[in-house]
Amino acid sequence: MAKTFQCTVITPEQKVLECDAEFVAFPAHDGEMGVLTRRSPLVCKLGIGTMRVDTPQDEHLFFVDKGFAQVSDNHLTILTEQARKPDEVDANAAQGALVEARAMKITDDESYTARSNAIQRAQVQLKLAKSTR
Amino acid sequence: MANKRVLVKRRKSVRNIRKITRTMQLIATARFQAALNRATATKPYAEKLGELVADLSGAGDSVEHPLMQTHDDVKRSALVTITSNRGLCGGYNANVLRTTIAHLDQQATAGVETDLHVAGRKGNAYFRFLGRSVAQQITGIGDKPRFDDVEPIANNLMDQFIRGEIASVNVAYMQFHSVGKQRPTIVQLLPLARESLGAQGGKSETRREFEFSPEPAVLLGELLPAAVRIRLFQCFTDATVSEQIGRMVAMKAATDAAGDMITSLTRKYNRARQTQITLELLDIVGGANALA
Repeated sequence: MAKTFQCTVITPEQKVLECDAEFVAFPAHDGEMGVLTRRSPLVCKLGIGTMRVDTPQDEHLFFVDKGFAQVSDNHLTILTEQARKPDEVDANAAQGALVEARAMKITDDESYTARSNAIQRAQVQLKLAKSTR
Repeated sequence: MANKRVLVKRRKSVRNIRKITRTMQLIATARFQAALNRATATKPYAEKLGELVADLSGAGDSVEHPLMQTHDDVKRSALVTITSNRGLCGGYNANVLRTTIAHLDQQATAGVETDLHVAGRKGNAYFRFLGRSVAQQITGIGDKPRFDDVEPIANNLMDQFIRGEIASVNVAYMQFHSVGKQRPTIVQLLPLARESLGAQGGKSETRREFEFSPEPAVLLGELLPAAVRIRLFQCFTDATVSEQIGRMVAMKAATDAAGDMITSLTRKYNRARQTQITLELLDIVGGANALA
């Protein structure tokens, strides 16, 4: 029997996903993080990237843009202000955003992070959109 | 008799109006359901966020954040007023605006200037009529408030607050309690009150040892703005629910009133018709008598 745990993805607008998962990989603020069943309790900040949820039946992919992850009692909750399924990601818009992001000027630390975040956001979305086509 | 024809005409137009208001009532009912679903869908996020804050404040560090600071020396505050884009929803807008004005007066007597951020066409029209300047007109938020629309507003207000330009941020909107009860309310968005985050740590017996990444203090610094954003978003979703209820009730009343009016008009019409017949009969009888 596969060992599973509860996985919930919530955005301010709705519960995007609620299912049993075998494995979840999500972009933490300092790199990708994987969660298996019975992980020790964790609260973690999210970065920008693709998260993958492996359920016994299939797998779900989401584009996540910042947020939080919490593991407690064998239950993983992802709170994010944006969770998009691959078919909701607009490749053309992402391409446009990438061009725009590359054109951003760097003047100080803040604008540097803003630029690299914007580039990453666009690149991850592009990659996700391409992979499903 | 001309009176009869006038009555028929009026009855017809009232009937048409009843058709329209009934349709509007049905539409409002459907939209209310949708709005209510959307409003309830925002709850899990807010609850979980509150839970996270509780977990974090249980981690030992005392909660301190620029968003929680009070600026008593700053004589400026901001008020977000949420009204509707369309009318025909009873006292909905009037109630919200009355509460807003009362709040503004109260702030003015306290010597605090208030920046107005008005969402919805009705509120903006009202303040234009009053000749009061509005700091920001929030338009484009329709029946389905999207988080992306509300986020920049919240971010802007938080920036102003942190920079110390405003001492507080309040939201005036129609709070939704139940289908039968909505109240125009003013809630304080900033400075964040500890209690409002659900950070009471009520379930302290089950306190778990969490692994935090990054440090709790940094995490909290990220969580609080998110909490402010979701709270403002909830105000907007709540307001749309109340608006649809307001419209539903107003249109129900209009439909009922039209029904009553039709009954009374029908009665008048019948009476007029009967009078006319009687008069004609009298004429005929009178004529026949004269001939006899």
